[in-house]
Amino acid sequence: MKWGLYLLGGLSVILIGIQFVPNNLPTVETANPGDIIASGIVSDDVAAILKTSCYSCHSNESIYPWYSYVAPSSWLVAKDVREGREELNFSNWQDYDMMEKLEKLDDITIEVGEGTMPMGIYTLMHPTASLNDVQREKIIAWAEDAMDVVLEEEDEEGDEE
Amino acid sequence: MKKQFLLPTLAVLGLLFFQGTSKKTTDSENSLHVMEADMPANVKAVVDQKCYGCHNAESKNEKGKKKLDWDAFEASKRSKQLAAKGKILEVLENGDMPPAKFLENKPEGKLTESELATLMEWSKSKKK
Repeated sequence: MKWGLYLLGGLSVILIGIQFVPNNLPTVETANPGDIIASGIVSDDVAAILKTSCYSCHSNESIYPWYSYVAPSSWLVAKDVREGREELNFSNWQDYDMMEKLEKLDDITIEVGEGTMPMGIYTLMHPTASLNDVQREKIIAWAEDAMDVVLEEEDEEGDEE
Repeated sequence: MKKQFLLPTLAVLGLLFFQGTSKKTTDSENSLHVMEADMPANVKAVVDQKCYGCHNAESKNEKGKKKLDWDAFEASKRSKQLAAKGKILEVLENGDMPPAKFLENKPEGKLTESELATLMEWSKSKKK
C-alpha cells in the first residue's frame, strides 16, 4: 500500500513536471491568401469536408482541443500537425508548383481511397471528422478533376508565355 | 482464266493478311509490355529491365505493384502520369529504388549511373 502511494506520488510529480516542457504546437494563422479553397479549385461541399476532416492537421488553421495543451498528448498533437503540414498544407497551396500540386492531389486520392486518412487516432478523438463512403468518393472525384484543372492551367500559362 | 488467278491471289493476300496480323500479336506478346507510345526507347529499355519485374499489374510484389504499376501508368491520364513521374523522381533522388534489400539478392538489378540519369531526365520532363 505504501509503495502504491509512492508510485502514485511519483507519477503525479512526473505528470506535473512534464507540463513545463514546451509543447511546440505549430502556430495558427487565420489569414491565408494562398489557401486552396480561396483558389477556387474546390467546390463548396468538398471545401466543407476538407475543413472538417483535414484542416486541423493539413492547414495553418488548426483547431487545438483542450488535450492539445496537456502533456504528453500535446506532444503527439504537435508532432501530427507539424508532419501533416509538412506533407500537405492546404493554406500554402499556391506556393506549390504544378508537379507538387499533382502529386499531393494524387496522394489524396490514394490516402482517402485506402482509408488511411483521416488518421484513425484523429477520428477516434474527433468522430465528426470521420468520412463515410459517399464523402470519400466525393473527395476522390474532386481530386481527380482538380488534377486535370491544375494541368490545364499550367498548359494555358505555357501557351501564353 | 481470270477466275483461275483470282482464288490463288485472294488466298495469298489472305495469308499475308493473317501472317501480318499474327506477327503483330506475337511482337506485342514478346515485348514485356507496351509503354506509353511516346516514351523514349532508352527509358522503356531501362524500365523493362530494372523496374517492370516488380512494378506490373501481375506482380506478386504487392507493395511494388501498389506503389507503381507500369501497366496502369500507361493507361492513366496525363495528370496522373505526371504525378507518378514526380514521385518516381523523388524516389530516384533519394536512392530508394531498387530497394537495398532487393539488391542484396540481386545486385545486378542496381541502376547504373547512366540508367539512373536516363530515368531522372525523363521523370523531370513534363511532356505528354
